[in-house]
Amino acid sequence: MPVFKTPFNGYAVKFSPFYEHRLAVATAQNFGILGNGRLHILDLSPSPSPTPVTELAFFDTADGIYDIAWSESHDNLLVAAVADGSLKLYDLSLPPPQNPSRSLSEHTREVHAVDWNPTRRDSFISGSWDDTVKLWTVDRPTSVRTFKEHAYCVYSVAWNPRHADVFASASGDCTVRVWDVREPGSTMIIPGHEHEILSCDWNKYDECLLATGSVDKTVRVWDVRSYRTPIAVLAGHGYAVRKVKCSPHRRNMVMSCSYDMTVCMWDFMVEDALIGKYDHHTEFAVGIDMSVLVEGLLASTGWDEMAYVWQHGTDPRAT
Amino acid sequence: MATTQGASGPPPKPWERSGSSSSGPAPFRPPSSGTTSDVVEASGTAKPGEIVSTSDRNTTMNTNSVGRPLPSRPWESNTGNSSYGGRINSGMAYNSGYGSGMYNSVGGGYGGMSGGMYGSSSMYRGGIGGGYGGGMGGGYGGGLYGSGMYGGGGGMYNSGLGGTMGGYGMGMGMGGPFGPQDPNNPPPSPPGFWISFLRVMEGVVNFFGRISLLVDQNTQAVHFFMSALLQLFDRGGMLYGELARFVFRVLGLGRKSRKISPNGLPLPGPDMQNDQKFIEGPKSAPAGGWDNVWGNDARR
Repeated sequence: MPVFKTPFNGYAVKFSPFYEHRLAVATAQNFGILGNGRLHILDLSPSPSPTPVTELAFFDTADGIYDIAWSESHDNLLVAAVADGSLKLYDLSLPPPQNPSRSLSEHTREVHAVDWNPTRRDSFISGSWDDTVKLWTVDRPTSVRTFKEHAYCVYSVAWNPRHADVFASASGDCTVRVWDVREPGSTMIIPGHEHEILSCDWNKYDECLLATGSVDKTVRVWDVRSYRTPIAVLAGHGYAVRKVKCSPHRRNMVMSCSYDMTVCMWDFMVEDALIGKYDHHTEFAVGIDMSVLVEGLLASTGWDEMAYVWQHGTDPRAT
Repeated sequence: MATTQGASGPPPKPWERSGSSSSGPAPFRPPSSGTTSDVVEASGTAKPGEIVSTSDRNTTMNTNSVGRPLPSRPWESNTGNSSYGGRINSGMAYNSGYGSGMYNSVGGGYGGMSGGMYGSSSMYRGGIGGGYGGGMGGGYGGGLYGSGMYGGGGGMYNSGLGGTMGGYGMGMGMGGPFGPQDPNNPPPSPPGFWISFLRVMEGVVNFFGRISLLVDQNTQAVHFFMSALLQLFDRGGMLYGELARFVFRVLGLGRKSRKISPNGLPLPGPDMQNDQKFIEGPKSAPAGGWDNVWGNDARR
């Protein structure tokens, strides 16, 4: 299975929605505390070969990169959430000196999450440690609007895959908020966990289901129509859950990664929800993704400076 | 490569092919048509380019619907915690990560300068805490911000201070009698940044002071030992060279026998064959055998 060694500590990994063999890895130096960042664009070889991964391009930034999102409207475009508070747009079709093609600086603190709208493909949102979420469109140099309600850092943002105007944000104030870009305030506040919520993602097959991951070591699945109690609590991680991701192929499948250095696969509708556990990382696992184009193709990265791509059910370290 | 698919969009998502979903009516307004900018502007909520400064951040507004004490910010380094999403503390690698041990347990921290800390809802929720000092071997004493103080529902402040003095992780303080969540007995506010910072620095200095002392003492001991040995051999009248050869012989290493070349200079390189002979068996040389043993026999 393809393995790529990054010079810095991995923070996020994302498959391209256009090409099944392409993915991007965001990294930050010195665990993201201080130093530069680097964005890697990787291509996987279609067949077994001596070099299963080739680096198509990489871009350096003056501060760590915490998250990335591929454009849903253009195959060569992606946006990076940078620790200096800026969002940087990269166009792979441009020569390297012209990248980033745009830098958007409005957040006053580290930008920790970014997500591209998969339905109305002209916009993306960013969540920052300045407690706000901002909505951006590719055709404007400034944000369209700002959502400020969270009382603490926003760690994760996610568009609803079926509603072009709806997204969710997860914050250290222990709430998940659901927003409609046409409404002045949040439309729903879910006090989901007792501890900080680090990640959220929408179910791709049921527009009302939302998964969250928290410092309390659990992944919870919520129905936004009755959010008093979660419909599933998935316990099994030994430390805080850093990211959750709902499968693009299976309705009930959720992927999570944690500070316990493992990547877990869950089926939240069955009793023994933990259906897979991968312990290939030797440091905090902080970035995961599931390929939209190839069922069962997974990717992860972590502070051990490694990015792995593997098929669900196989050993990520097997070469 | 990369044929440009341009604005046509990516291949359809698997869930789009599967048709509509949801087990019932969704509580969302039906989607509007048009571009995002148009939709937002039509709704009257657009506010382009708004910069939210730290001061008008929302903490003062009553939006903290959960009513929990909020942790200090990730970038408020040492005493902050937040750790998990965090930059500084989680950045401090293991401290916060493993420090999470504190969420459920005694002893907590993995060590390091930042770990456990008092903040994070966790402490208020009454972990037995432990904080971080332990792993570090006393640097910044465990109990300090661990449950010792804040988990304990107050009153533990001083007992925790052993930690500052470089104590070896005194994280005791097991949650006060009223439990940390007793609303009538809120935890004291954390110390200011500079105070905490100074404490950390004190811990660092203390720690390295101890380390250097150990190193120093070991070095001195080795030095004394060596000089004593040398003095002993001096008294014994042995030359160092002789001593070394003796040692090598004992170890079974052959000396380098030297062949004398016709012009009287020694040839480089060991003569293994002869060495073997010297070491392995009694010498049959009728006379001058010991000369052979000690080499430089010009007859060979």
